[in-house]
Amino acid sequence: MDRLINIDRRIIFIFIFLGIAIPLLVDIHLPIKPTPTVRSVYDEIERISVEDADRPVLVSFSYGASTVPEMVPMTRAILRHLFSRGRKVVGICLWPEAVGIAQPIMDELAVEFGMEYGADYAFLGYKPGNQAVVLNLGQSLAGTFPFDAAGTPVGELAVMKGVRNLKDFSFVFDFAAGDSMEFWWIPFGQEKHRFPFAGGCTAVMAPDLYPFLQSKQLVGLLGGLAGAAEYETLIEAPGSATAGMEPQSVSHLIIILFIVLGNGVYFTTRRRGGKA
Amino acid sequence: MLFMTRTLPFLFCFAFGMTGFAIYYVPHEWAQSVEREFALWLRLVYAFAYILGLVSLLSLHWSKIRQRQAGWAYSLVVYISFGVMFLFVVYNDGNGPFTSQATTGPYQWMFTSIHVASSATMFSMLAFYISSAAYRTFRARTPEAAILLVSAIIVMLGRVPIGAYISDVIPDTMQWLMSVPNMAAKRGILMGVSLGAIATSLRIIFGIERSYLGGGGD
Repeated sequence: MDRLINIDRRIIFIFIFLGIAIPLLVDIHLPIKPTPTVRSVYDEIERISVEDADRPVLVSFSYGASTVPEMVPMTRAILRHLFSRGRKVVGICLWPEAVGIAQPIMDELAVEFGMEYGADYAFLGYKPGNQAVVLNLGQSLAGTFPFDAAGTPVGELAVMKGVRNLKDFSFVFDFAAGDSMEFWWIPFGQEKHRFPFAGGCTAVMAPDLYPFLQSKQLVGLLGGLAGAAEYETLIEAPGSATAGMEPQSVSHLIIILFIVLGNGVYFTTRRRGGKA
Repeated sequence: MLFMTRTLPFLFCFAFGMTGFAIYYVPHEWAQSVEREFALWLRLVYAFAYILGLVSLLSLHWSKIRQRQAGWAYSLVVYISFGVMFLFVVYNDGNGPFTSQATTGPYQWMFTSIHVASSATMFSMLAFYISSAAYRTFRARTPEAAILLVSAIIVMLGRVPIGAYISDVIPDTMQWLMSVPNMAAKRGILMGVSLGAIATSLRIIFGIERSYLGGGGD
């Protein structure tokens, strides 16, 4: 029993490695069922595509390099949905690292859907200031981002026509790896100006945001790779998140088996009067 | 001297704190313009904080190199990495430092292929350490711990497709756990934290809490 309690962690690592590697090599098809929080985001984009087609959508990138495996699949899924519905999109970054990650994705997907820069979408780059940027965006977008990432005045971009501040967007979506949703966008943006707002975040952050779903300050939420995979299912465009669900399923199962084993050892040892 | 080090900073704090608090709720044009200016100043402070962070980082690692402290070679890597990235930012794929940052070239390559790749790898390695930690520490020692354990297993299974594959009840139960008990607990924590933040802010604004001025918390 002692050997089981003090199992070499490298053995656990090997199991996790195999649990991730084998499903990547062997196709184990598992059906993905979208949850209501993810479906709400999809429904909102469908709704604005019909009812509010003229006004652009604002997407905010608040993540960095470390969370790329979780955040990039959902970035692709949301942008793919928006571009496939012909929605005009304006991208901004509230984290400095996000510029180098988000801009290539926007450009790549824009080419795929035949969107023209300036007319159909724009990328305004990064501004420091966290919640102060959101406060300024609520008053004047051109005052906060006078130029796009390439140095073009925003007034010269057709996609920005009629956009003065946050209220002029039909929908705002934040990709968050930190506390930008609950501490920047909701108190200083959504709560003040009352626009439809949703977000995508890392899996570990998702439970923190459920109060905002119930209060309707968040229309919907994509949590981690699973949220991205559910969204890919809804838009019928399976990508890296869908591919990642099989390794994630198996690795979760392995962790659960280890937890059960650990508890089994613990109770057996305790019954025998030993220390665990 | 006491006026400059204690009284004047306190007066600034009181004036800006009260004004910032009041204008959030006032939709008048004048209040909005004050809010706009305050937010602009705040953004400038944030921008300068990056410079402060950079100076702090470089001076810390410089002292490690100079004193040949344990792991000083890693500090050297910090300097080399910073220097190389900085040079290629200035080079800007041949466009120079006074045009917008190029989306191609050596800097973009290093950012994507080194920085993003290594950062993502570090983050992904958490899965291995969490598994090991969960095996060693996640024990149903008490009824409360047992409830937490069962909830964690349901959420872990319900968040991935294998949960629905085993039974449709698992994702539905996961959704209930997240939307009801989790949400209630998070809301309570959030309200507690917010009330604490408001109380601390008021203590600072009214000069009850002065430790930020330095020289003790009198």
